[in-house]
Amino acid sequence: MNYIGLITLVQREMVRMFRVVTQTILAPLISAALYIFIFGTIVGTKIDEIAGVTYIEFVFPGILMLSIITAAFAHSSSAIFMHKYFNIIEEVLITPFSYLEIVIGYAVAGVARAILVALGVLGIGVLMGAVSLVSLPLFLFYVFGVAMVFSLLGMFAGLFAKNFDQLSMLTTFIITPFTYLGGIFYSLTMLPPTAQTLTTLNPFFYFVDGIRYSMTGITEAHTGIGLLVIIGLIVGIGGVVTQLFRIGWRIRQ
Amino acid sequence: MSTSSVILQVNDLVKEYPGASTKRAVDNISFTVDTGSFFGLLGPNGAGKSTTIGCITGTHILTGGQILVNGYDVVSDYRSARRQIGLSSQEYNVNPFESVRHLISFMGGYYGLRWRERRERVDELLEQLQLTDHAHKQFKELSGGLKRRVVLARALVHQPPLLILDEPTAGIDVEQRRSIWTLLQELNVAGTTIIMTSHYLEEIERLCDRVAIINHGQIVSDRPTMAYQQAGRTLEDAYLAITAATEVTREP
Repeated sequence: MNYIGLITLVQREMVRMFRVVTQTILAPLISAALYIFIFGTIVGTKIDEIAGVTYIEFVFPGILMLSIITAAFAHSSSAIFMHKYFNIIEEVLITPFSYLEIVIGYAVAGVARAILVALGVLGIGVLMGAVSLVSLPLFLFYVFGVAMVFSLLGMFAGLFAKNFDQLSMLTTFIITPFTYLGGIFYSLTMLPPTAQTLTTLNPFFYFVDGIRYSMTGITEAHTGIGLLVIIGLIVGIGGVVTQLFRIGWRIRQ
Repeated sequence: MSTSSVILQVNDLVKEYPGASTKRAVDNISFTVDTGSFFGLLGPNGAGKSTTIGCITGTHILTGGQILVNGYDVVSDYRSARRQIGLSSQEYNVNPFESVRHLISFMGGYYGLRWRERRERVDELLEQLQLTDHAHKQFKELSGGLKRRVVLARALVHQPPLLILDEPTAGIDVEQRRSIWTLLQELNVAGTTIIMTSHYLEEIERLCDRVAIINHGQIVSDRPTMAYQQAGRTLEDAYLAITAATEVTREP
């Protein structure tokens, strides 16, 4: 295992991230702060408690999850795409990394950015009285697990995209609608029966539900499903992306 | 690592670019490079030089054939093979916003150099390539000559036994070109095998002890540099005659 190479790869990505800290860290924190302010102070005070918790406590885990998903996906998709675009990807193709190590390096960097953003969002949440915690191990599993899933998915998007338009396609047509329709801002019980059934087919619903359970104790799905979905996606997407690097899909001539 | 006197062995290499009409960029070529030699690879634009280098270094996927670097197969034992090679590409394939020090240091890290060892090596290279005053500048702020030196420093950071230079002096002035020649000669004398492509035949003639000419994806000549310079001819005369002859034999 090329541990020093792996650490260097992550370090390089962190340097890149902090070079544009306004875009990578501050922007998502401002978005999260606005969500928390609007749904906590303005809208939240007009809505009754849901399953015994305030509205802001109910939506905060979803806002946190949204921030994690966006940060992890944005980091690894832009890293791979830009490195392809400038042909910087050559650095890792000519050096003694295994293909799995390349995937781990980029994925961990995406997770690291998501965790930094998550810490900031949690800090804002604490200040606004929106944070509670029921199960720390489960909370950590969901935070790290979902960050890893979307970091890997971002890598796939970065490999797939041949131009900026294609890069934004996955975000526009999959990530954003599936996340918002995954129950961030509402309870499943608020939906008509057909929409409830459709929501349970959305994997993002289990991410939001799982982290909400770990923070508030409220769940509308079986927690075990969320755990299985996350582990399955990490193994599945990780395997696919590693294989794509192995065959040099859209990165080697 | 192999102790063989041959550091690079290319056997029946074929590289095709798939598409609407598949293009065979490298057509069944074989050649060897002896350990410690200074090997020139010449050819017109699009002849297959960069493609061959890409197949050796790992940026291109081989269609057929085999490449061994110090005895390591570039496909089945690619990690060991890549440790043997330092590459200075024709294009500047680096992050233009990164500082010179970071660019060299990160490359050292990828090759497994520990932090202290890496810092010392980077300082040494910055001094050797007269980059110390530019260490904290972003790559995009540098002149063409300085950029070439940074790319060369990255290729040298892990002290590879085989250095591959694709047009290492393209676009730089005469003084800087000569300073790079001196450095390359010193490296070669110290034991580094060098493979170089260039459109400047004068530098190939001056530096290389063996030259292969590639045209239309095939090696059309491979002999000691001296052998091209018989009867008062220069390498350029020989090169033009050989490539012209290749064109004639390709006429339908």
